[in-house]
Amino acid sequence: MANALFYLMSVGAVAAALGTVLARNPIQCVLSLLASFFCLATIYLLAGFQFLAAAQILVYAGAIMVLFLFVIMLLNLGNPGTDDTTDTAMFRKKGAFVGVLVAAATMAAGATAVTAGALPEAAQAMPEHGIDEIPALAGEMFGRYLLPFEAISILLLATAVAVVVLAKRDRKDAPRKGA
Amino acid sequence: MLDPQSPLVPTPDADHDWLWLIPALPLAASALCGALHYIEARKRLPKPAAGGHGHQGGHGHDAHAHAHDSHAHDSHAHDSHGHAAHHDDAHGGHGHEKTPAGVAAFAPFLAVASMLVAFALSLKGFFLLRAEGAPEAIRASNWSWIDTGSFPIDLTMHLDRLSSVMTLVVTGIGSLIFIYASGYMKGDKGYGKFFAFLALFAFSMLMLVLSSSLIGLFVGWEGVGLCSYLLIGFWYEKGWPAEAGQKAFVMNRVGDACFLIGSFLLAKTFFTLDMAMIAADTAGKLPEFGPKLFLAGLFLFLGACGKSAQLPLFTWLPDAMAGPTPVSALIHAATMVTAGIYLVVRLNPVFAASPELLTIVGVVGVLTAFIAGSTALVQRDIKKVLAYSTVSQLGYMFVGLASGAWAAAVFHLVTHAFFKALLFLGAGSVIHGMHEEQDMHKMGGLKKHMPATFITFMCGSAALSGLPLLSGFFSKDEILAHAFAHGGVYMGIWALGVATAALTAFYTWRMVALTFFGKERFDAAKTHPHESPIVMTLPLMVLAVLSVFGGLLGLPPVFHVAHALKEWLEPVTRAGDAIIAARGAHVLSHEVEWALLGLGSVVAIVFATLGFKKHVGGTQCDQSFAATRGRLHAFLSDAWTIDTKYTHWIVQPVKLLAFVIAVVFDQFAIDGLVNGVAGFAKSLGERTRRLANGKVASYGLWMGAVTAILVLVLIWNR
Amino acid sequence: MTVPHEHLFILSAILFAIGTAGFFLRRNVIVVLMSVELMLNAANLAFLAASRMHTLQAGATQPSLEGPMFAIFVIVVAAVEAAVGLALVIALYRNQQTVDLEQVSALKN
Repeated sequence: MANALFYLMSVGAVAAALGTVLARNPIQCVLSLLASFFCLATIYLLAGFQFLAAAQILVYAGAIMVLFLFVIMLLNLGNPGTDDTTDTAMFRKKGAFVGVLVAAATMAAGATAVTAGALPEAAQAMPEHGIDEIPALAGEMFGRYLLPFEAISILLLATAVAVVVLAKRDRKDAPRKGA
Repeated sequence: MLDPQSPLVPTPDADHDWLWLIPALPLAASALCGALHYIEARKRLPKPAAGGHGHQGGHGHDAHAHAHDSHAHDSHAHDSHGHAAHHDDAHGGHGHEKTPAGVAAFAPFLAVASMLVAFALSLKGFFLLRAEGAPEAIRASNWSWIDTGSFPIDLTMHLDRLSSVMTLVVTGIGSLIFIYASGYMKGDKGYGKFFAFLALFAFSMLMLVLSSSLIGLFVGWEGVGLCSYLLIGFWYEKGWPAEAGQKAFVMNRVGDACFLIGSFLLAKTFFTLDMAMIAADTAGKLPEFGPKLFLAGLFLFLGACGKSAQLPLFTWLPDAMAGPTPVSALIHAATMVTAGIYLVVRLNPVFAASPELLTIVGVVGVLTAFIAGSTALVQRDIKKVLAYSTVSQLGYMFVGLASGAWAAAVFHLVTHAFFKALLFLGAGSVIHGMHEEQDMHKMGGLKKHMPATFITFMCGSAALSGLPLLSGFFSKDEILAHAFAHGGVYMGIWALGVATAALTAFYTWRMVALTFFGKERFDAAKTHPHESPIVMTLPLMVLAVLSVFGGLLGLPPVFHVAHALKEWLEPVTRAGDAIIAARGAHVLSHEVEWALLGLGSVVAIVFATLGFKKHVGGTQCDQSFAATRGRLHAFLSDAWTIDTKYTHWIVQPVKLLAFVIAVVFDQFAIDGLVNGVAGFAKSLGERTRRLANGKVASYGLWMGAVTAILVLVLIWNR
Repeated sequence: MTVPHEHLFILSAILFAIGTAGFFLRRNVIVVLMSVELMLNAANLAFLAASRMHTLQAGATQPSLEGPMFAIFVIVVAAVEAAVGLALVIALYRNQQTVDLEQVSALKN
């Protein structure tokens, strides 16, 4: 039954991804991506990565996508009349279609080639509490991966500063009415 | 290979290095004269502020030259009938504007001095060879030009009896003509340049006659051709002299190509290009290489035809009269045109080797003589008469060579140099005195205005027409006697030769009558004919004496006196004579000789008188001839339309071919190809430029595509 | 779940391909950024699939934690990149009044 769920979720993920890439309205793209993330989270869970599934929902779906939505709303791009119909006409071009097909085929072939014949049975028993148990993860994080951890915290700090600087309104721009 | 100890192939000896001076002195004089001219010409350059009207010398005649251009190119030279406006054939700078020569006035002194010293050295060589027990030939030290190992190409000055005769003629008559030219060309703005070219010509001609090998001879051969081109086109601003010069050069070129082929054949047969060795070795090679010798001789003869203006290649000589008269005298009477004869005599065994070749030479020679002689009958320009006469007399020389009478041909060469140079210089004096008038129909009665010119001209004409006891009589008669003695086909040659002698006498005295006798057909008030200065008449007198008494060089055997020239040239002609004698001797009995001499005298006297009487009254005879027999008149005056046929059949097709190549091939194909490459590069660039459209997505697409391809390649190759 | 490992990798590849297509072919900058997120997720899935593979080998004693660790870092970096990218989009919008990539071609030729 878990297998069936996996296949269902993977179809959903692919469909949602296609929806992201093919939708005209940016809001529709965001919502499709959200759906794709949910499906992926379920797949993570099924594969035994509980923490990652949670992190995916919290961070990706809960923060990043919300950010995207904020920006779309800010720039007023979500109105039904404003999307550019030529945006997705691109996909109807022969080149794009063939290109995507070729890319997908290549990657799939690559994936199979890389793993062919080298994969062990997947029917082994799963560890009891999943593969990424939090204590073990924490141990790794603050043990072996301490340096990358510190680095990304600095990165996050820098990002915060950068975003503020980049998105700040120039002094010469007229201040908003009433401000 | 030949034994190098043979007497005709002397060893190079440094004692005789003074021989190199003979050509070197005129060369040095040429360089100096050129420098003087350059200095003078620079002084005369118009200052930048002035209107640039510096030298009007040739400009005033430009309109005239343009009027000429409207005709077909070659009608200039040949239309002597009805073309009254030809009086500008003479100087460009004379009569209208005299330019003082400045520092270039020293040029003639340098040139004449070099020639006189060269003459003295030639005399020294002559006496050296004449002394008791002297060798038959001497050589200066060898100069190895190209050392190819098995076939060395050496050059050295080789003075044998034939060369000494030639150098004496060239330097002697050359000096006289140089002296004459210093007076004739006075006031011309190219005074120094003229002497530079003349001296360069003298150098080339001396190289030609003094070289030991065919290569050195060819250097001289080409050099005289070049100088002929430069000098014919000396007044190139007038337009047609430049064309005449080019015509001369191109026709000579055709001859030169044949000359080269002939020398290649000789080189292959004899493995040497040393002429003395070839001459000495021919008898040995004859049985084996007969056909090859025939071919070599034939090609060399064709080369000689180009240089000596014989039948297929003679039409340049009348056109060459566009050059100044001293040039015509020196180059086209006395020296360059005799180079062909010299070549044949020098290599006489090669020519003697095949009787068929000699017959061809004889037939060509006599036909040329006859055609040219008949053409001279109807010419109105005095220089053209003399030009065709030269071609005719050269034909005689070739007939002499064909009959195996080498010495006779050289004899005629020498006497012809005397009287033809005299006649040309005399004509120049007349032209000078008549202020550039060359049309005989506008002359007449000049004998009282120019006495010295008149007397000397008479001497020359008498010699040319072969009046008895003058130099021309003996040389011409000797040739005809040898032709008669040969028998067979040569009888026809003899008969045509006698007919030509008649023509010669007729047109010569016609020329004299029209020019010096009768009523004056010009306005004496407007043109004041005057005698030329002493610097021009002195050479005339010297040459007149030589023309009259030059016959002493070669008196016929019936006079029971030795033929001086024949004996002198015996070592040179020995080999050829032997080859011919091996085929059967031709001897003339004394009675026949006297009969021929008598016949020659009668023919000359009768036709000379006829020519003189018919024309002493004026131009009626000419005009009635032109009126009643118009087509014949036109045919003759156009040199039997040979030149027009050349223009039509050779020159026009070549021009058409040149046009096709220039426009179709060069412009369309080659330019198209080059421009096409440039155009291709341009369009490629334009197409590639569209790649940089400033859109990041597009850049990203390309990067992604290439990355995907790379990944594929890497996976494939794993 | 006993899905064979290849299937997870294939899914990752398909998602990556779709993300690439969207990245190259869409004109709206924001959608391009979203395609990037999709690609990163596909990468995440690949990491986790590999981790699962190593863990479930014969005699799995310890879980292979490199996978999840890296996936966490990828998530963080993705977040950072999304933030900065969107800040840039805002700046772009302020300057050019458009988020259409076809119209920002000042570097043309």
